[in-house]
Amino acid sequence: MTRRTVGQTLMAVIIAAMIAIPFFLPGEQWVNLVSLILIWALFAIGFDLVFGVTGMLSFGHAALLGSGGYALTVLTLSYQVGFLPALLAAAVMGALLAFCMGLFALRVSGLFFALLTLALAQMVYILASNKLRALTGGVDGIPGVPRPDLFGINFYDNRNYYAFIVVVFLIGLAVMALLRASPFGRALRAVQANDTRASQLGHNVHALRQSAFVVSGAYAGISGGLLASLMFYISPQMLHWATSGDVMIMTVLGGKGTLLGPILGVAVFELLKEELSQVTQYWYGILGLIFILATIFLRNGIAGLFHGPDDQDQGGAS
Amino acid sequence: MSTLIIGLSLSFLLFLLSAGLTLIFGMLGVINFAHGALYMLGAYVSYQIVQITGSFWLGLLFAPLIVAALGALIEIVALKRVYSRDHIFQLLLTFGLILVIDDATKLIWGFDYKQVPTPEMLTAPVALFGSQIPSYRLFVIAFGALVSLGLFLLLDRSKWGMIIRAASSDADMARTLGIDVNQVRTGVFALGSFLAALGGAITAPLVPIELGMGFSVIIDCFVVVIIGGLGNIRGAIFASLLLGMTRAVGFTYATEWVELLTFALLIGTLMFRPEGLFSYKGRSA
Repeated sequence: MTRRTVGQTLMAVIIAAMIAIPFFLPGEQWVNLVSLILIWALFAIGFDLVFGVTGMLSFGHAALLGSGGYALTVLTLSYQVGFLPALLAAAVMGALLAFCMGLFALRVSGLFFALLTLALAQMVYILASNKLRALTGGVDGIPGVPRPDLFGINFYDNRNYYAFIVVVFLIGLAVMALLRASPFGRALRAVQANDTRASQLGHNVHALRQSAFVVSGAYAGISGGLLASLMFYISPQMLHWATSGDVMIMTVLGGKGTLLGPILGVAVFELLKEELSQVTQYWYGILGLIFILATIFLRNGIAGLFHGPDDQDQGGAS
Repeated sequence: MSTLIIGLSLSFLLFLLSAGLTLIFGMLGVINFAHGALYMLGAYVSYQIVQITGSFWLGLLFAPLIVAALGALIEIVALKRVYSRDHIFQLLLTFGLILVIDDATKLIWGFDYKQVPTPEMLTAPVALFGSQIPSYRLFVIAFGALVSLGLFLLLDRSKWGMIIRAASSDADMARTLGIDVNQVRTGVFALGSFLAALGGAITAPLVPIELGMGFSVIIDCFVVVIIGGLGNIRGAIFASLLLGMTRAVGFTYATEWVELLTFALLIGTLMFRPEGLFSYKGRSA
């Protein structure tokens, strides 16, 4: 076995162990923590399809997450739609918003893409907090987001809801693994490596970028729906720029461009947040410092520690 | 009339900030996300100086200098290490800086609003074209115009400006000619930080000083640099005027819609001239 395979296996084992912990350990705090980690991890692997695979830094993913959360909330509470159709609608909503944002943001590339997605997401944030008050409840948010209602299982029990999250997460992970290994995923990598060359090879670069963004939006939408349901609550806070920043930090910390790295990044982020916030109210600043050190010294994030240094930016099929 | 004055003072303020942003981008290729945080820091430091010395003018002078020194330190300790990598890493690093600066500010000054009193000689309103204009606003316009002029002279006419322009357009060639590009980079980042903090110090009497002030302003600056063309200082001044006046008119006639108006301006620009209104080159930053 090469170092790469050993590292990947090790990462997979760690993640599997993390998912298993809440099933074996008593104590609500593990269930809640890993629930949160898995939902954010789903968000992060979707984000990384745009960032790590296609090479576009989106600073507007908060809007995609939030739109999914609001879609699920409004549909279930105001229109009595079932949970699963509403979760599907959350994915569609995220994808649709990503498509609309892409119409503007994909006219520019590189750093401008980051700035434009940020500006567009801020616009959504302002709309949700003020203009769409009737729909979104303004800054107060909407309490009472429901849990799934399936097979007569009581998902208001956090352990049962955790199992639901695990199923959705594993499906999402499997789909993403397939996508990344598919010709589509390889074409996205080609766009990241050299967009001019990719287009000369006959790829429609714009369409590829747009599709990656839309798929990523669907992942964000589902995560937003699950998150609102986990908290029983949604507010424009989910749309705040800090949310976009968080998912970016998690992905970089874990290792952008790798499938499993961002999941570990989320886990480390949430664990640090959990531990640091008990010690000091300035945990976010300390996290920022750790993040800065990681960008300087940990080129490929946590995944780089497992993969070894030979894995510069290409990531292979990982 | 007061709309015009408010618009102009807003425009110059935006220009001070986006000039620094654009200058840093032109030289370092870095979009400094922490620019808003440095602006906020400028306001807090000037508040502290006013608290200690009682003089607004000392605050206006020393706060930018202190923040500029901090900027130089940041560049040397952190940014220098990631120049060789993709631009995205520099952006990530400056984003991390926001979190650190925000929490450090919280630690030092706490959560509550701070207020810097308007300097005494500028409290009286001035009658101008039949309306009462707060004289501090006029001062902001005059001061902003002066600083802008100074900046143009520095960049366009002085030897330092020539070195900065040379190092921006071709760092390797400048290095061959014996210019210490590393020092120029540190200097430019410090200059950008200086301008950001100057903006903060001069805004301090106009607004409550609070933790969120950095981020709301950075979005406006991004809008300015996108409209003006990134790395283009002349574009930045027109775009600042455009945005400042739009916001001032918006505040007077449609307060509810001001934020959306800003974004409409941005989207409109990108639809019709994605390379920025005042840029001739293609955009591939």
